[in-house]
Amino acid sequence: MTVVDVVTAVLLLGGALSCLLGALGLVRFPDVPARLQAATQPQTLGMVLILVGTAIRLEFESAATLLLVALFQIITAPVISQIVGRSAYRAGTLRRDDLVVDELADPMARDDAPVRDEPPDSGRGR
Amino acid sequence: MRRRLPQLFWLTVVWVLLWGTLTPTTIIGGIIVAALVTWLFPLPPMPDTVPFRPLRLLGLAGFLAFDLLRSAVDVAWETVLHGPRARAGIVSVPLLSGSARAVALLAGSVALTPGSYVLQIDRARGTFWVYTLGLRREGDVERVRHAMLVLQRKVVAAVGTAGELADCDRGLAAGTEKTP
Repeated sequence: MTVVDVVTAVLLLGGALSCLLGALGLVRFPDVPARLQAATQPQTLGMVLILVGTAIRLEFESAATLLLVALFQIITAPVISQIVGRSAYRAGTLRRDDLVVDELADPMARDDAPVRDEPPDSGRGR
Repeated sequence: MRRRLPQLFWLTVVWVLLWGTLTPTTIIGGIIVAALVTWLFPLPPMPDTVPFRPLRLLGLAGFLAFDLLRSAVDVAWETVLHGPRARAGIVSVPLLSGSARAVALLAGSVALTPGSYVLQIDRARGTFWVYTLGLRREGDVERVRHAMLVLQRKVVAAVGTAGELADCDRGLAAGTEKTP
């Protein structure tokens, strides 16, 4: 067993563990934003670890492609998590009772009032 | 046209890496594809001098890599120990820089660290809101706010102009005075 073997094993197993914990979080967490945390970042970390673990065993040409895969994953994952998380908040699938603190509630309520698709008078005073 | 050259170069590099072989065909093909992409999807015009500090950027990447590992452990802890009773919160953080580059990089950095992502950005009001998992102890909210301010300082230091960095420091000083 060489040093490369050990490093590869640690990276692959660490990546697999991270993905497993992400999957576990997907099942155990109560609402969309929390599940989103489990679904995006531990998966990203796990995938990057597995890709690096694989890349160090390959010749440079194939390894470069794997690093590109990791790069694209790192660039795109935050965009998706932000869009889904925001939609979840606006759609109300977030369990607000479970939040320790929600400093967005007030500004959001203020902002939402004038942009509703209703005539300006009908929506007031409810 | 001169400004498109770096874009052309990097897109060609990506193309060649995707093919995995360095031959005249892939290079010429890459240049054609890169020219098409930059022509069809032009980026908004950039300011004349884009500050680029490789060392600070590298420092930020290192910080993020460490943060990624540390918060992965935190989220794993929260998953295994608390699961359905996970506690989360939405924390408002002052936005210290108005530059689109810094804000985009900041939102990306926050989203990469497990357990938190940017829920909303309001550049007009100079605030952004971060969703964070695992707020349990007293003072956790302030801790998150402080960590976000520190991260912001690092991001602006990496890609902001000297003026933006000065603004950021001023905001940081004012912010820490307000919150005891």
